[in-house]
Amino acid sequence: MIAQQLANGVVLGSIYALSALGFTLIFGAARVVNFAYGALLMLGGFATLLLTQSAGLGFFVALPLAMLIMAGAGVLVFYLVVRPVLGRGDLAVLLVTTGLLYILREGAIIVFGTEPRQIDMGVEGIVEIGDVVITNQRLVVIGCLVVLVGLLYVVLYRLRIGKALRAVAQNRAGAEAIGLNINRVTAFAFAVSGGLACAAGGLLGAIYAAEPDMGDLPLLKSFVIVIFGGLGSVPGAIVGGLAIGLIETLSGAYISFAFKDGFTFVVLIAVLLFRPTGLFSSRMT
Amino acid sequence: MSRIAAAVVLAGLLLIPPALDSYQVYLLSLTLVWSLLALSMGLLVGFVGEINFGQAGFVGIAAYVSSLLRIDFGISFWLAAPVALAAVVLVAALIGVITLRLRGPFFVLVTLAFGEIVRIVLANWQDVTNGPIGLRGIAPPEGLFGIDFAGKLAFYYLALVVTVATSVALAVIVRSRTGRLLVALREDELLAAFVGVAVMRQKVIGLCISAVVAGLGGVLIGPLLSVISPGQFTIFASVDMLVMVIVGGVGTLSGPLIGAVFLVYVPEVVQFAHEYRPVLMGALLILATMFLPGGLVGLMRAMVARGGVRPSVGAGGVRGG
Repeated sequence: MIAQQLANGVVLGSIYALSALGFTLIFGAARVVNFAYGALLMLGGFATLLLTQSAGLGFFVALPLAMLIMAGAGVLVFYLVVRPVLGRGDLAVLLVTTGLLYILREGAIIVFGTEPRQIDMGVEGIVEIGDVVITNQRLVVIGCLVVLVGLLYVVLYRLRIGKALRAVAQNRAGAEAIGLNINRVTAFAFAVSGGLACAAGGLLGAIYAAEPDMGDLPLLKSFVIVIFGGLGSVPGAIVGGLAIGLIETLSGAYISFAFKDGFTFVVLIAVLLFRPTGLFSSRMT
Repeated sequence: MSRIAAAVVLAGLLLIPPALDSYQVYLLSLTLVWSLLALSMGLLVGFVGEINFGQAGFVGIAAYVSSLLRIDFGISFWLAAPVALAAVVLVAALIGVITLRLRGPFFVLVTLAFGEIVRIVLANWQDVTNGPIGLRGIAPPEGLFGIDFAGKLAFYYLALVVTVATSVALAVIVRSRTGRLLVALREDELLAAFVGVAVMRQKVIGLCISAVVAGLGGVLIGPLLSVISPGQFTIFASVDMLVMVIVGGVGTLSGPLIGAVFLVYVPEVVQFAHEYRPVLMGALLILATMFLPGGLVGLMRAMVARGGVRPSVGAGGVRGG
């Protein structure tokens, strides 16, 4: 029983980790919180849904394609909404991205309706390891996390633009002084972030369902995770995501299902009280 | 100039409503309650320099505590309301001590979590809060000093007195030592701490004052709508307050009031489908932040300073107010 719950927790935690990674990258690069992030995740879910359903593509073709589209959407968000107010402080960025969240989320309700729709992954069957039963779909989720984290590390540590991104995250003024184009690097962070949000949305849509409010909880959870793991920290987002997935699944199973989302926030407040810089406070190392 | 304007508006608010039909009076009362909520958010954004996405949590606590005391224990509105306000201040002080060490995004995130916790508790603590259905049949305030509050008009005047008294009190507070210290903190916390301002204490005081004002709105919501449910006190309500502040004008007290009028009446006048409201809110938030940093108040001041009304700039914005 406990092993089964642990397995469920890891699956949920993988999606949370993907979602938190995209969220934390933007904070690292631009020092801003993107409140529209949950809406991008939701749009990623719907993009994957439309590509599989209407265009008839297989899930494993549709998801990368949707991620590319959402990477473009992330760049648009940066140039159209965030950059015009970037010099005016945290408050202004919070306000415009909150406005964008409203437009996208409620716009999606008007366009798609509120009915939940599942994305067909085309993967069936289950795997049994001892008493633990996991559907192959859920193994795909864990696999996606592993693959995407691997890719992310290649981008951040091997590609020039990724190294530039880390430089900007570590020292903005210094990065600018050595001639890096901060705007372009930040736009790249928004692109990667949009892609990761889309991956989380597509997987959530396949395991649960795509619906206009599917981004709400991942947004809140991403907040908690990046605070838990340290704002801007990549390993923090992965470990934090898995930890929050486990905490939620276990507290939902053994304490109270109705209050399981509440426990996450209690954890958040506890972390803020005792370790306000997060468990992995060094940024982007 | 602004005093004359305030006097004219107040005279209108006192004299005109008896001539209006009951729906118009209800709309005015609703505007007053939203004005209180917008004022509470305006105080935080403009004078503490923080956004509280859990502000609706304060409103919800006040609304539920006051209504439950009346329904379950038969306590009079006039006793239940102060108890509810005290509860809100207590919660605000606790939240403040925990969170106000954090700035900017951190503070926002925790207030978001706080708002969610309040909503989850209200929606799931079935035995006490009646779950997602909420509380129904909340009576108007009991009569006091021979004044009967059962009618819509009487309740309107009660809300008016509360709102005017709150606005005056806030105007005094903002000009007082506390208000000036808060502005000093907002502008440069490090410098303020350096010259000996008790940073944490001032910020917690600011949050508590804001919570009291939000709580005043909360205790009025039950009798106004006669129904309260967890769905009314979500982050959406907090964002509505925020939009009112931003559209009205940050850093002023008239801004939130004008913003509340604008956002209650524009949807009434425009008569677009209800489902488009949040999209409109989002667009307003982005447009006002980008192009109208001083809000409607800033726009009006600029027009007065320029010595003439320029319809091309102001007409669209001011008509609703």
